[in-house]
Amino acid sequence: MTKRTHWPLAAAAALALSAAAACSNGGTPEPGAEGNAEEGSTTAEIAFWDPYPQHAEGSAWDEHVKSCAPEGSAITRTSAPQTDLFNQLTTAVKEGTAPDVVLLDNPMMPEAVAAGMLATAEQSGIDTAGVDANLLGPGVVDGEAYGVPFGSNALGLYYNADLLAASGVDPASVTDWDSLNAALGQVADGGGKGITFSGVTGEEGVFQFLPWFWGAGADLADPASAEAVAAGQLLSDWIGEGYAPRSAATDNQSAAWDLFLTGEYAFAENGSWFAAAAAEADFEVGVIPIPAKDGGVAPVPTGGEFAVAPIQSEDASDHYANAAAVIACLTEGEAALQTNETLGYLSAKADVRAEQVAANPLWEPWVAAVEGAQGRTTDLGSDYVGVSASLSEAITASLNAEGDPAAVETAFQDAGGF
Amino acid sequence: MTTATTEAPPRPAPTRRRRAREWTAIAFIAPLVIYLLLFYAYPLVANVSMSLHRFDRGTFVNGGAPFVGLDVYGEVVDNPRFWTVVRQTAAFTVASLAFQYLLGLAAAVFFHRGGFRLAAPLRAALLIPWLLPIIVSGTTWQWMMNPDNGILNAAFGVLGLDPVWWLSADNALTSVTIVNIWLGIPFNLVILYSGLQNIPKELYEAAAIDGAGPWQQFRRITLPMLRPVSLIALLLGLVYTLKVVDVIWIMTLGTGTSQTLATWAYGMAFGKGASGVIRYSEASAVGTVLLLVALAFGMLYTAAQRKQEN
Repeated sequence: MTKRTHWPLAAAAALALSAAAACSNGGTPEPGAEGNAEEGSTTAEIAFWDPYPQHAEGSAWDEHVKSCAPEGSAITRTSAPQTDLFNQLTTAVKEGTAPDVVLLDNPMMPEAVAAGMLATAEQSGIDTAGVDANLLGPGVVDGEAYGVPFGSNALGLYYNADLLAASGVDPASVTDWDSLNAALGQVADGGGKGITFSGVTGEEGVFQFLPWFWGAGADLADPASAEAVAAGQLLSDWIGEGYAPRSAATDNQSAAWDLFLTGEYAFAENGSWFAAAAAEADFEVGVIPIPAKDGGVAPVPTGGEFAVAPIQSEDASDHYANAAAVIACLTEGEAALQTNETLGYLSAKADVRAEQVAANPLWEPWVAAVEGAQGRTTDLGSDYVGVSASLSEAITASLNAEGDPAAVETAFQDAGGF
Repeated sequence: MTTATTEAPPRPAPTRRRRAREWTAIAFIAPLVIYLLLFYAYPLVANVSMSLHRFDRGTFVNGGAPFVGLDVYGEVVDNPRFWTVVRQTAAFTVASLAFQYLLGLAAAVFFHRGGFRLAAPLRAALLIPWLLPIIVSGTTWQWMMNPDNGILNAAFGVLGLDPVWWLSADNALTSVTIVNIWLGIPFNLVILYSGLQNIPKELYEAAAIDGAGPWQQFRRITLPMLRPVSLIALLLGLVYTLKVVDVIWIMTLGTGTSQTLATWAYGMAFGKGASGVIRYSEASAVGTVLLLVALAFGMLYTAAQRKQEN
């Protein structure tokens, strides 16, 4: 019986809650866009965030970063996966507790700039001279550079030389989609499996899809075009024909790579960061550029992160001075080569890249891919994220269609929204 | 003490003392109230507030999200995906609850009857899904359901059945529901088993003397006596199931038919899954809808319980 008396109370509470909700207006003070690296001085503690949780404390990367602390400073490094890092950065900038330096995935740059989260390169004393324009592209918004890419990775088509030889396929014959499909068919006829790739939901799967998308002549401004559908059809057919595993729809790039390492697959679309691992595989691994539909090399999306300085609301100049010192150390002089070699990246600067290739012939086939790579966000800016979401849905549906042309076409036309 | 009170001069002590007692009471209750306000009321208010303003990353960081009333709710409900997701959530929840309960009940009755020598180790084994971290069981199930070389399809092959693409867009809902049922059986088993232990043995003895068979005993004694326990098991199960994100996310990232209101809200709130676009307001709106549904069933439960008490 006494319970009944709680109802008015609960109702009053609910009313108060909704009233409070209606009034409270995200009235946080705007973080200042003030400050300049030149007016500040480095501080004892420097916070550094990167998206490489796989490089644990004490790893080569960890030590390399920490060795870049200026005299009298110590770097505290924190890692989280890309999306989480971006979300944490969002909250940190809002709270005025952003780190001094962040390594941010390049397609996130325009959105971070649009949200007012990043200091300009000029403000934070970051030198972008000597960086390739295609790699710098994602970090340039309205002609203003924000941060600098230190290196890049690219996608290529790895092949299992032993399996191809056994199936009588010459990798040099793969120059367009038809010859690639013919090679896949020939391997399958010999009892081998075709190709692994990552079609996982989200940006990672889209990143892997773009070489086929662009190679078909499609444009991100029109993600439902006939060319886009053709690219979806290609991958869908691979699943339908049994050339690619069905798990491609859920495999990330590491899982796809592990499948290739079993030695059962002839080809693998994957990134340059596996080049070193490929040399240690149980079979001979080669790499060719990803072919465009009608021949030639398909443009691949630029991969890799930007070193940026987030907006600071307090002691901004000092934070920017920290950023300037650490980023300069990571991207200039001798350490620049070390930065890229440690991560398995090719430098964003041509001269450092040449040094890398001279020291390690493993890099040679990747130079052209990096130099011809297209920024995902260069044309669309922060609108890219939405287009990528549509493409991701279309890819998932296409792979599930297992070759059915009508279903692939609907997949691309229906994609979009939230 | 007694001497003190008798010696006390007559004064308006009662009111002062009462006031002091009131203050003590407030001091005792304050930590709880502060805790509730800070960790329950504030997030709730913030969530509702977020769904009434149009937030994006920029306005989240810099403030100035415009107040749009119920516009966001309208957009979410008008989204063609909304009702599909609601249907999927309903199917996931109803199927999970029904099978978790029935299988949990069957196991509980089986163990309660006793006479099975391996009962104890078997019951312990049945608890495993509950004890394993979801990341472990989810990943293991995903591996078992691998369409190309998963162990489930291998077993199907031995039985002469065609392999199934378990986590394809169409089959995803069924697959994650199967796993969620597996996860929920131990909870139902434990609760219902303890409920069974509370039923007096005499009832069964009396029924047996009156000539009631096992089925009649189950229907006329066990089920009615289990009603309160069943109600709470189902209500808690409902709340758990409505907000399940982890197991679905680990297995499918909420793709295809496995998208539920909870995974949808999660993906939008953090820019995860297919879309990297962050949608704080839409996610909050979906979260509020989920909350209201859970609240409605909670009230239903209270009403049912009150009816039973009367």
